[in-house]
Amino acid sequence: MPRLHELAKTIRSKNAGVNQVTFDVIFPTREAYRRVVESGVLGREAVARIYRIPPERISDHVQFDLANAIKFTIYRERPSGSPGDWDTLGCQFYGPLVDVDVP
Amino acid sequence: MAARRREMRIMISTGHLGTAPSGPESFRAAIDTMPDYLVADGGSSDPGPVYLGNNSVLGQFVEDELELFLVESRKRGIPLIIGSAGDSGSNHGVDETVRQLREIAERHRIPKFRIGWFHSEVPGAAVAARIAGGERLPGLGGFPDLTAEEALAATRIVAVAGVEPFIKLLDDGCDVIVGGRCGDVCFTAAPCIRAGYPAALAYHMGKMIECASLVAEPFMGKEAIIGTISDEDILVTPFHPGQRVTVASAAGHSMYERETPFFEHMLGGVLDMRECRYEEVDGRSTRISGARFIPDDPLTVKLEGARKVGERYMGIAAIRDPQVIRHLDAAIEWSRSASARTFRGVEYELHYHVFGRDGVLKDLEPRRDAVPHEVCIVIEGLAQTDTVAHKLVDFATRMFFLARIPDSKGSSGLAACTKQTMRSSPGFVWNVNHTMTLRDPMELFPTHVAEAGV
Repeated sequence: MPRLHELAKTIRSKNAGVNQVTFDVIFPTREAYRRVVESGVLGREAVARIYRIPPERISDHVQFDLANAIKFTIYRERPSGSPGDWDTLGCQFYGPLVDVDVP
Repeated sequence: MAARRREMRIMISTGHLGTAPSGPESFRAAIDTMPDYLVADGGSSDPGPVYLGNNSVLGQFVEDELELFLVESRKRGIPLIIGSAGDSGSNHGVDETVRQLREIAERHRIPKFRIGWFHSEVPGAAVAARIAGGERLPGLGGFPDLTAEEALAATRIVAVAGVEPFIKLLDDGCDVIVGGRCGDVCFTAAPCIRAGYPAALAYHMGKMIECASLVAEPFMGKEAIIGTISDEDILVTPFHPGQRVTVASAAGHSMYERETPFFEHMLGGVLDMRECRYEEVDGRSTRISGARFIPDDPLTVKLEGARKVGERYMGIAAIRDPQVIRHLDAAIEWSRSASARTFRGVEYELHYHVFGRDGVLKDLEPRRDAVPHEVCIVIEGLAQTDTVAHKLVDFATRMFFLARIPDSKGSSGLAACTKQTMRSSPGFVWNVNHTMTLRDPMELFPTHVAEAGV
């Protein structure tokens, strides 16, 4: 079973405003994109499971066909750069997605 | 007979001025094509609240970049526009940038030119007064409505400007403009809108080029690109020979750092990108059209504010003993409770960043329960004075060395702590992330004009 790393072109996370982090998973082909969309491994519920958060913490989850991309956004535990937050830019939040198995 | 197609070309080589130098070859190649404007993004809320609250500067290459931009643009008579100067767009950030530009102009004996700037700070008392007057300031990104108390507690608040102060300064004949906090799309959109190009295309071009070469592929930072606007579309062209702007890279960039790929809010309205069309041309550029702009009524402005939490120190403890690692939560609890006893009655905060376990992701870490063979704990502590913060963090760090762990065989120290406890920046939090209505898009953004050069 391939991992997301093998199918995606870009897997990234970044601040979207000071209290949210947005994730972009972009695929090189329509086929890879559809495969991951249909597998459900990056669906709203799956993402909530991966990050151990209630689904309400996902503020947006969209499929962006034009870019062959899956995009979702979560609320942070505390605003970026607060004491106790290490990833001020939110740029390493995507880590757990890289090795997700895709059926 | 069809009217001749008119165009305006805007160059950018950095999405955050001063964090690293612009690539010299692509900068030269782009500016030698004589763009109509050179623009740069001086900052944003991205680096966190410390830069706004503490007026501190993030980039170590600000002076070098300002020198490159000023010297090369003045040499060719190209106007230079910088937005959100000084990382946060605070008044200090703007004034420092203006001062640096003046010094560079004198050092290089640049002939006289007109420099303009605007400020974006809003006094907390003014915001509190609006709330006391019954106005509701809704929060963004999950923040509750702003209270007058919180507005007054902010160390510094900036309002995020639209295109208007830039247009005013261009109307005033400025050759160089230094903006306070503004929308990332606005320093590019302003000259386009002033020249009569459609607002939707102007804002969309601002969005596509705000991060310079990040819109192109493969991934490269700090390389020059040029956005070309016409009355029908925009064209984005990279100037590093190894890069191309493709449909995929441009569409991919349109969703970068945004909750949604379809909308972008700024002072003045909303950019709607749902119907955008992308087309690759000339082997390296992409043409984009179809954005729509929906004006706001009433106008709303975004406010950003930072509140100081305290002085901050950091300590580092590294652990290799598997028995201690198996009881890591007990070790942290020991440090936490010992600190609570020793600093009873003192106002402080302690945070434990456990690298090797969940230091980056904290509660979001799916592998939190995996047992690593070694961990590094960064102890972050804040208190009201430098002395107490130092003492607190030194103590909380020492408590890992002196941790009391069940059945531990070590008796010489349970953590390696070779480095001194380190002073960090003061701690701040974002406490204002709200919108407020405005009657006039200029009302919070006073402009100033002066002569510079020799």
